[in-house]
Amino acid sequence: MTAPDPTTAAGADVGAVFAALADPTRRHLVEALAAEPGATATGLAAELPISRQAVAKHLKLLDEAGLVSRRRRGREACFELQTHPLAGAVAWIDAVGAEWDESFGRLRAALGRRADA
Amino acid sequence: MSTLAHTVTRAVVLEAPPQQVWEALTDPDALSEWLAPEVEIEVQEGGEVRCRFDDGEQRRGEVELVEEAERLAFHWWRDGAGPSRVEFVLDAVADGTRLTVIETGIAAPTAPTLLASAWGARLGSLRLVLGRLVLA
Repeated sequence: MTAPDPTTAAGADVGAVFAALADPTRRHLVEALAAEPGATATGLAAELPISRQAVAKHLKLLDEAGLVSRRRRGREACFELQTHPLAGAVAWIDAVGAEWDESFGRLRAALGRRADA
Repeated sequence: MSTLAHTVTRAVVLEAPPQQVWEALTDPDALSEWLAPEVEIEVQEGGEVRCRFDDGEQRRGEVELVEEAERLAFHWWRDGAGPSRVEFVLDAVADGTRLTVIETGIAAPTAPTLLASAWGARLGSLRLVLGRLVLA
């Protein structure tokens, strides 16, 4: 068995998820959105030493990785955390583990054949 | 610096002495019985690794570490997933050999704050998930 393609596992690009979470500011934004669902870029920027524009840029990257969703509320967009891309990342890890389980099963059998020979 | 990465660890106890398990890990004919139908490996640091799987997927890699009957490590390139590092560790146990594989994948530099950060109780499961993705 081969592990599923990581770019399609559970519909999320696992590489993009890892890349998105590699940045400390973006991880901070993920935490902030966990604590305050529906926050706006302005609201998030107030808690960080960076501009609203910089926050918006990070949110765009998180959006592209599927980690946040946005909806309009009046003049501003507000953001919600999406956890399913993380499930995709975990599914990928589990598939790689299952691959090793199968390989080790075959290894055990191969060593058994050698012992019997 | 720590890295953000995903890692997989699996272990198995095999009824064979470490030397025999080592042969199963380093002999291309033996490897083709369990790892992939076609395997080539040059068992020396910097040596080339090539595997072709049932479904046609090919992985190429490079041997990083060779410690006879104890440890073998290489990097290989999974399709679409970037390089990952595979390390096999052999331990002699009463019944034979415990073989452990540690595969560490897609990595990017990060600060060690992710696990330490306080998540909302509502997202306890998210923390669990992230915990599995972060390797200090």
